[in-house]
Amino acid sequence: MKTIRIAHLYYDLMNLYGETGNILALKMALKRQNVRFEVDELTKGSKIDFSKYEIFIMGCGTEENQEIVRKDIIRYKEEFKKYVKIKTFIITGNALELFGTSINNKEALQVFNFKAKGIRKRIVGEQVYKTYLFQEPVIGFQNRGSIHDNKENHLFEIISGNADNQSSKFEGIKVNHFYGTYLLGPLLIRNPKLTNTILKELFEAKKYPFKEILDTPEEMAYEAYLKNFLQNKNVQN
Amino acid sequence: MRQTLTILVSKFLYRLCRMGSRFFHKDGSVTPGYYASKIDPHILDKLKYPSLIIGVTGSSGKGSTTSLIAHILEKNGYKVIWNKNGSNLYNAAVTLLLNHTNPFTKRIHADVLLLELDESFIKKIFNKVKLTHLVITNITRDQPARNGHVEIIYQKIKNSIDSNTHLIVNADDPIVERFRFFHKGEITTYGVSKYEKDFKHPLSWTIDAAYCPLCETKLRYKYYHYGHVGNYACPNCSFKRGRVDYEAKDIHMDKAFMTINNCIVHLNKKVFFAVYYTLASFTLCHVIGMKTEDIQRELNEDILEAKRMKNEKLGNRIVEMIESKNENALSYFQSIQYIREHKGTKTIIMGFDNVSRRYAFNDISWLYDVDFELLNIDSVDKIFCIGRFRNDVYTRLLYAGIPKNKLILIDNEKEMMKIVKRKSKGRIFTMVCFDMTAVLKKLLMEENK
Repeated sequence: MKTIRIAHLYYDLMNLYGETGNILALKMALKRQNVRFEVDELTKGSKIDFSKYEIFIMGCGTEENQEIVRKDIIRYKEEFKKYVKIKTFIITGNALELFGTSINNKEALQVFNFKAKGIRKRIVGEQVYKTYLFQEPVIGFQNRGSIHDNKENHLFEIISGNADNQSSKFEGIKVNHFYGTYLLGPLLIRNPKLTNTILKELFEAKKYPFKEILDTPEEMAYEAYLKNFLQNKNVQN
Repeated sequence: MRQTLTILVSKFLYRLCRMGSRFFHKDGSVTPGYYASKIDPHILDKLKYPSLIIGVTGSSGKGSTTSLIAHILEKNGYKVIWNKNGSNLYNAAVTLLLNHTNPFTKRIHADVLLLELDESFIKKIFNKVKLTHLVITNITRDQPARNGHVEIIYQKIKNSIDSNTHLIVNADDPIVERFRFFHKGEITTYGVSKYEKDFKHPLSWTIDAAYCPLCETKLRYKYYHYGHVGNYACPNCSFKRGRVDYEAKDIHMDKAFMTINNCIVHLNKKVFFAVYYTLASFTLCHVIGMKTEDIQRELNEDILEAKRMKNEKLGNRIVEMIESKNENALSYFQSIQYIREHKGTKTIIMGFDNVSRRYAFNDISWLYDVDFELLNIDSVDKIFCIGRFRNDVYTRLLYAGIPKNKLILIDNEKEMMKIVKRKSKGRIFTMVCFDMTAVLKKLLMEENK
């Protein structure tokens, strides 16, 4: 039977703001595709067997928990650099910062070439983005106390809301099958199109067939949000 | 002179607001304080305070704790000034204090000043004059768009107290327990021992403070009361649920009593959270020097009627209206636990039009921090999803494993009660935020006409 293995990284440290919703979204989407899944909850001190998993997922955490994770994850620097090229990564909130060169001048995984740093006033608010991956706008929320200075491979362009930093118009990173964004919470539930895009890409690589499933409750919630809150804004690509 | 004027203006505006409250739909708890602080921004530093200045803060339970403390103190003859209406922001505190201050002597007329305090405003209200006592109930996820997260809340409380404040803290909460490590002043702890409905494992991994704040090792728990509150210890260092000065034991929820340090006390509500606010109130009153029997009398004989939701009816069916605070997983958890306690078949109405009364953000991430999985039980017949966010609520419940045939989306609110009557069974519980309670009451009234 077709099986997808998911590594839920630092599940008990990087779990703020409804991040568990993204795991639920993956589980539901895979179930609808009739694909079996296994989720391993990994955390500080866990041994990560990178070859075992198809998807790596990590959510946001407090600045304090991010620092605990930074100190622990650094032992896998070489593995992350290698596997980021071939596996699917879904990294949300300030977890993305761990993949840059440094966080507040402390060494990070150095997978990507950007630096992250803390800011005094938190960035909190609703976000509407566009992406080159599909037509529909991406909706979400941010609540963070840091910025980064990435200049390439952007995942989103800002329609309204906050970019990676004050002088940028872009947000997030997409390289190969790596998806990283400051958007948090149930991002994958709120944006079914994004979830499908990520899985479709993975299924193609695995040569699994992918069925388009329409009229899901998530789609309805997405449409309702656009109608209720974004009707008067020009958000279509 | 300026201070006298400030106090007089505040008092005058308060009376004006009260008189006009019917027209303005405002109770005058905030506006007078707003203008008073414009005239003299430091007015609160210049008043003469009573010898007992007590604050109650934390993410939840502070309102119930404050009113129970006020009850015990007032019944024992103390003149208490307290924020009865739960307004716990800065301007509300200014209004309240100035309203009870003599404009000429600047003395506050009371034996005790007792305030339910929002964590963010303690420092501003008690800038120069410090609290003599501060009760900290718990620190959990609460309005993240405004509060950030638990670490930020913890730091805010930490930065607003000094060694003159006697802390009364919940030892079951590892975040609150951290106050023990830096606080130079007095500290008294309370806690609840093992209870039959405790959880052996956390309900989900959306818990904060899973790791030791001293050595970053994962904490081990003997039991969880809820969230990260329970009996914890670090396997690597000395951090643990430490000395508990006042411990609640032998909880008989069905008979509504428990013991605190071998002293029997009554619970005014048959819910677990009543254990905490009763225990916190008992502890505070004992700490300020009241006799056990005087506290006991007010808990056991002269009982404070619990804030009860008003029961309504839909035809012959009872409707219990439980207000649940959006963006506070613990508030929803309490509501869910309360609904689960009801043995018979039940129907739930939930949803909201606005996430918050304070800001316009549509952050719904907190929906995934609430353990709605607990509603996936046979005795729940139907759940009706209402409000502008009904599709998000519906989706969340579906992801909590609740079968599709139990979930009903209400697109036309006006027809809701008819649909509820026709399609569901059992006692009805509404689990909604403030704005929706009024809407539902009106719909019930119209349907019952």
